[in-house]
Amino acid sequence: MSCGIEQELTAYIDGELSTGQRQQLESHLAGCVGCRATLTLLRHAVARLSTLPAFEPSPRLRREVFRRLDSEPGGLLQRLRQLFRPVVLVPSLGLVTAALVAVLLARVPGKELIADPAQLELGENLELVSDLEVIGLNSLEDLEVVKHLHELESQP
Amino acid sequence: VVEDADAALMLKVAAGDKTAFAALYDRYQASVARFAYKFVGDRARAEELAQDIFIKLYRSANGYQQSAKFKTFLFRVATNHCLNEIRRGEYQVTQVAENDAADGRGDLPGDDAVQPEAALAAKQLERVVRKALAEMSERERVAFTLCRFEGMPYREIAEALSCSEAAVKSLIHRATVAMAKRVGAAQEAVPAGSHA
Repeated sequence: MSCGIEQELTAYIDGELSTGQRQQLESHLAGCVGCRATLTLLRHAVARLSTLPAFEPSPRLRREVFRRLDSEPGGLLQRLRQLFRPVVLVPSLGLVTAALVAVLLARVPGKELIADPAQLELGENLELVSDLEVIGLNSLEDLEVVKHLHELESQP
Repeated sequence: VVEDADAALMLKVAAGDKTAFAALYDRYQASVARFAYKFVGDRARAEELAQDIFIKLYRSANGYQQSAKFKTFLFRVATNHCLNEIRRGEYQVTQVAENDAADGRGDLPGDDAVQPEAALAAKQLERVVRKALAEMSERERVAFTLCRFEGMPYREIAEALSCSEAAVKSLIHRATVAMAKRVGAAQEAVPAGSHA
């Protein structure tokens, strides 16, 4: 197995060479004892492989494959059918309807949610609260001073 | 578009037709199981791999395009699965000892008593082939198996392995030479008169 065309011998056996390549190889084989010997060895091995008994899978293989297949969701069409079958569709439509009603009711004028008045007041004065925190007025006494600041200003 | 009866069945599988899948399964189960067996060298593990391959085939039906020949698509799924499982360490290729007679079952007929010499020769050949397959690289083993046992042309093997035809030619050549050396050496070692 020393010729440079060795790789072509396997492709030749397998019928994978073009007509030109095959003719070229056959010309070479006519004058090369080594390549003819290699070709014989390769052909013999390939022929022996064809005598191997067939591998027969056990019946268990089929059972297992189809058992597992039963738990598979199926193709697109089958999945759509699954999705739109009554047992899924009716409760789903009920949920969607309930959600739509809730949204519509929430948008009716005069039906806004009534929040805690204290929370609303805090929200309105949030800016003031944060300002007081920024300047470091945290205690009730400080806030009392701020509340009566205008009285102090009016005093001479 | 490839005119392929199997491709038409595969399109039905994509629509959820399990009867079409059963037809494909029955047509290809022996090939897939044999491919897996040649790949790992162990019957039980080969059947586990074959199960997974068919389930993957079913799941991938939606992605199947009729431009690819079905058998090529099937063995691409099979090749990727086997290579991935080996890389993940899920399977080891069964190594075969020189004098391993205990695990010579698998493909073998059970008529040892009828033709003992022929059965012995078949067992020996089987052992030699398994050893040679185990010594190949994974890609050599895939290419060799698809070529020698499934009869696939280099172009389709290249598609299954996602490589060039030139690469397949090289893989198959190296594997065939290695196999030929093994088979030749084993035959020389057998005493004259022991062949059927």
